[in-house]
Amino acid sequence: MADIKALEHPTLKVPYEILNKKFRAAQKQLDREVSHVQSAALEVERGLGTERCSAADINKLLGGMVEKLQVLKRKAEESICEELQAGYVCKRRLEHLKEHTSQSQWCRKRLDRMLVEYFLRRGYYAAAQKLAQSSGLEDLTNIDVFLVSKEVERSLMSRETSKCLAWCHDNRSKLRKLHSTMEFNLRIQEFVELVKADRRLEAVKHARKYFSTFEEGQLISIQHCMALLAFPVTTELSPYKELLEEERWGRLVEQFRQENYKLFQLATQSVFTVALQAGLSALKTPYPFKTSESNFGSESKNKSCPVCQDWFNILAEPLPFAHCSHSRLICHISGLPLNEHNQPMVLPNSRVYGQQSLQAMADENYGNVVCPRTQEVYSYSKAEKVYVM
Amino acid sequence: MEACIAVEREVDKVLNKFSSIKDHASQTLQDVTSLIDSLKKILDECPENHEMTPNQVTIVNQAMAKAKETVGRLATEHRELHSTVSKVGKAIDRNFVSDFASTSREDVFSSPDKVMLLNRIICQHFYRQGSLDIADQLAEEAGLDCESGKEPFAELNEILESLKQKNLDPALEWAQKHRTALEKQNSSLEFKLHQLRFIGLIEKGTRCQNAAIAYARAHLSKFVHTHEKDIQMLMGMLLYLATGVSRSPYAHLVQPSLWADILDTFTKDACTLLGLSVESPLSICINAGSIALPALLNIKQVMQQRQVSGIWNGKDELPIEIDVGDEKRFHSIFACPILKQQSTDNNPPMRLVCGHVISRDALNKLAQANKLKCPYCPQEQNPADARIIHF
Repeated sequence: MADIKALEHPTLKVPYEILNKKFRAAQKQLDREVSHVQSAALEVERGLGTERCSAADINKLLGGMVEKLQVLKRKAEESICEELQAGYVCKRRLEHLKEHTSQSQWCRKRLDRMLVEYFLRRGYYAAAQKLAQSSGLEDLTNIDVFLVSKEVERSLMSRETSKCLAWCHDNRSKLRKLHSTMEFNLRIQEFVELVKADRRLEAVKHARKYFSTFEEGQLISIQHCMALLAFPVTTELSPYKELLEEERWGRLVEQFRQENYKLFQLATQSVFTVALQAGLSALKTPYPFKTSESNFGSESKNKSCPVCQDWFNILAEPLPFAHCSHSRLICHISGLPLNEHNQPMVLPNSRVYGQQSLQAMADENYGNVVCPRTQEVYSYSKAEKVYVM
Repeated sequence: MEACIAVEREVDKVLNKFSSIKDHASQTLQDVTSLIDSLKKILDECPENHEMTPNQVTIVNQAMAKAKETVGRLATEHRELHSTVSKVGKAIDRNFVSDFASTSREDVFSSPDKVMLLNRIICQHFYRQGSLDIADQLAEEAGLDCESGKEPFAELNEILESLKQKNLDPALEWAQKHRTALEKQNSSLEFKLHQLRFIGLIEKGTRCQNAAIAYARAHLSKFVHTHEKDIQMLMGMLLYLATGVSRSPYAHLVQPSLWADILDTFTKDACTLLGLSVESPLSICINAGSIALPALLNIKQVMQQRQVSGIWNGKDELPIEIDVGDEKRFHSIFACPILKQQSTDNNPPMRLVCGHVISRDALNKLAQANKLKCPYCPQEQNPADARIIHF
């Protein structure tokens, strides 16, 4: 169960954050509608307070109040339903996690879940959706969160700020807590675009409107912006040249991704890459990495070992080796462990194999064994025992 | 499991409270609305230009006070649920590791060529699984050229595809074609395919019972040496044809999971036959990673508490031994019993004349002039007689 604790934090935390967000939205909605009802009630009371009030007037006011009450009732039901749904998502994921076993079906599902998340982070949205659909993972992965960000990213790529600004507005209080500079950077970009389009007067108006309210620490950026007004768009001078670069949009996309992760408490790395790193390290032995001069490197390759495969080998290259303080020997022929039941035996060419494999080979081969690594043929009686403590 | 249960407890509380506040809200709001409606009805019946009597004023006033109080309380009650909601978040943070990435290096897989490589690996993983559409989609979005990766899996994928549509014919044909090779690797693929077809007949109920028995006679009897127990179970299902197998002790044999199982069996056996690694290397790595990661996170925490975190820079060797299980052990590792170090090219394992193995560094340390006493037995020998061995 330790792997669930270590790997599934984002699986639960993201739907929790959504639940929390829905709760806040619902509270806001309720507060607003409640105050509408209360002000309608106050109006009725005020109407009653006047002298000689007519029943018809009061009746009308009461009618208004009933309307407000019905709106409140509808909105309350809707918002609470949404909260409940968010809660059920958490519940469903917990139920899936509780089914955890080390059986291959569950593990495959976990790998698929990890891959969906990895695809989403890399922006391969269609592949992510396809995989989630075919494995029935829609409820267990955070596709919705990323689909929102896909929209925003796409609009940023096409040089539009409105969607991202709307996102900033949606999540204002949380972003403020995280000291996000997203909105500020967007405003700077808008300013720069105005300068690029040579609408400098509008740029100044834009600056007045948005830059005056920003916090300290951002002053230098604002100064750079204002000074940009004095330069032509072809300037080679730093930092103004950088401000005018097209790449700034790409950086905005990247910043947006990171902030969106933080918002849902997602780590900067995906669970998939983290688990892959740990797994490669745990499987990595010095053997597949032997230098070519020692020519035993290719000999000791094992087709079932992931780290022996070319692509994995390159990926594992910078990672640490597995730690090993006790010998773990396996027979090169059968893959079975070498121990007192399957004694290691050394052939005259100094290659070691398990007794069982050699015996089986000798039985079929009139007492001879063929070393699979060098193709040399020996009599089985030439094999000597090896004692490994 | 406790972690899940702890969080689930909080989630259940949230669900309960929200359900009850939902019912409560509609009930009370309904009450208030009908109260005011009834007042309206009375006022409706009043003659035109009627002035409110003091009595009526009091009643309406009271109703208003009640309405204000009810809706106000509703908002407050909802606000009070916040603590219940935030307890879920706290339970998640307490029971699950949020900084699970702390033992990994961010830079390892992030360069463009590594991303490409990783995508190729994932693509191949899906080709192997028979999910061609996902692999193709990924290749398209990531800009990969993966045609070459499909080759060995093309025939297998077709068979898998028909298996997914519960069509056993291509798989059976393939299994019969490769029967001898499959038997050599102790594969039960053919039996499992026949078993599924037999169960398919059973599920049709009593009208197919003769067909089922005939099928068993024709196809199952030859497996009796290897699958006696299974065949007994299959025949036992016949007892429950009339009452429904799904309510019998054999219910597990009519689960859809059997079909998922046959997909796995076929992939594995076919890969072995074709000399491909049996399991997807990606799955092996991820499964090993999910074993290794909790241990690494633990040791990291311990090291931080003892303030020795600087010792492990995450570059040379993992700080602890991780047992990924026998089936994931692909290479012999010799660790010198004297020096407790893994052997390397410069420090290879040496077999002494008596058969005991130590590393060359240890041998050099123990040797005195031309004499060496084996550390494990009384034999004295010349260190020059020791030989390098290769596991």
